[in-house]
Amino acid sequence: MTSETAEPNSSLSEERLRLVVEAAPSGMIMVDELGRVVLVNSQVERMFGYSREELLGESIDLLVPSSVRAKHPCQRAGFFADPKARAMGAGRDLYGQRKDGSQLPVEIGLNPLMTDGERFVLASIVDITERKHSEALLQEKLLELQRSNEDLQQFAYVCSHDLQEPLRVISNYTQLLARRYSDKLDQDANDFIDFTVDATRRMQELINDLLLYSRVDTKGKEFVSTDCSQIVAMALANLKVAITESAAVIEFDELPIVGADSSQLLQVFQNLIGNAIKFRSDANPVITVSAEDAGKNWLFSVKDNGLGFDMKYGERIFVIFQRLHTKEMYPGSGIGLAVCKKIIERHGGSIWAESAPGKGAKFSFAMPKLAEATRVGI
Amino acid sequence: MNKRIRVLLVEDSRADARLIVEVFKEEQINVDVDIVRDGEEAMAYLYRQGQYEAAPIPHLIILDLNMPKKDGREVLAEIKSDAALSTIPVVILTTSQSEEDIQKSYKLHASCFVTKPLDLEKFVAIIRSLDSFWFKAVRFPANI
Repeated sequence: MTSETAEPNSSLSEERLRLVVEAAPSGMIMVDELGRVVLVNSQVERMFGYSREELLGESIDLLVPSSVRAKHPCQRAGFFADPKARAMGAGRDLYGQRKDGSQLPVEIGLNPLMTDGERFVLASIVDITERKHSEALLQEKLLELQRSNEDLQQFAYVCSHDLQEPLRVISNYTQLLARRYSDKLDQDANDFIDFTVDATRRMQELINDLLLYSRVDTKGKEFVSTDCSQIVAMALANLKVAITESAAVIEFDELPIVGADSSQLLQVFQNLIGNAIKFRSDANPVITVSAEDAGKNWLFSVKDNGLGFDMKYGERIFVIFQRLHTKEMYPGSGIGLAVCKKIIERHGGSIWAESAPGKGAKFSFAMPKLAEATRVGI
Repeated sequence: MNKRIRVLLVEDSRADARLIVEVFKEEQINVDVDIVRDGEEAMAYLYRQGQYEAAPIPHLIILDLNMPKKDGREVLAEIKSDAALSTIPVVILTTSQSEEDIQKSYKLHASCFVTKPLDLEKFVAIIRSLDSFWFKAVRFPANI
């Protein structure tokens, strides 16, 4: 069954080796200096479709694809010239050849082995068909993602330029109509012109908002150490007029430092605090901005004593252009929270709201804590 | 001073070109305006080629950037590299808001860069300042 020369001398340690090889989860082949197979496990049988009997005593080249078989003896000699444990063909794609001639992608680890003065190499073989498949799939998905990102950028450009062109013409000419002919037209005609002018203005706003929304990803900046107390102070400065007019009281403790795109984080705080003022009740707005340590994340919240809303709209308010009030009551296109959501998600966090009609609202978002590496040099 | 001011308007959009003419009318701005629809026509006009054999040299060129065939950037570069034409002031009037376009236009010696506004009132204000500055205050070189 096995030739004498190929069989390592029997001993207790050899029997142990055999057991270890058999129990290994990967394919194991032991080869002598001449390249003859002296030991295989059942994984190899399964992988290559040969029985143990067919392999023992045969040249290992049997399992090497015919296209590279010629080089193999030379490479094996190279290994025995400098025998140390290493991965075979690092950086190259390796394949094995099955009995039926088909090939399988493999990863091979080589280990030199001495038994009774004879030198062997023990090869551990892993079938990486599945991994190759996942890698190809991942690559495909990455390309898909890249394409869709490019589409989005293209879309942003179309919005900013191509859509605005005809809109500007409509807007300019309706205004010219009003300017030149309003005293020659009756009230109806003037109303119709007003509606058209209004609609073009609103469309311009929507286009700008869409652009703003798509730029969260396409124009986002790198994350840097950002002091949230400073950011909130900036947001309050930007909202000064609204705060004064509504006599709003805004309280905030010392807030943490996070890794963030600071201008985007400013946008988030400004939108949330701005909303808290905008959707106020009859009482003067009292708004609390706070942060708590939640392990891996910082948990921020902006709490108000305003109108609040029914929680059945809890998800909808974060969808672009979704509004809970008429334009006449509360102006705006319904972009603010959608932008907040997109920004927080870009930072690896999440945002949600808790509220009830007449009970105020609390908007919370979780942000991953600043990575240690970025903390250096604050 | 009694010489009428001649403007060459290079604008591919008929609506935009007409709007400028209409606002000139609204504001009673009395200048001669010739309109060409792309960069190639503009250069033919300035070099007095083909149908433009008898074209006058304009005092001022109002130039759009995004046009078919030869765009405004190429036209500007060509005007400013021609000894005879390079003294003509060029006002860029475009929908572009890109910093790249602004930089490039000034590098190519545009006299100024104006973005077309959506609102008519703002557009009228721009035309008014064009009038009070370029058509009333500015002195043009004698060779024009």
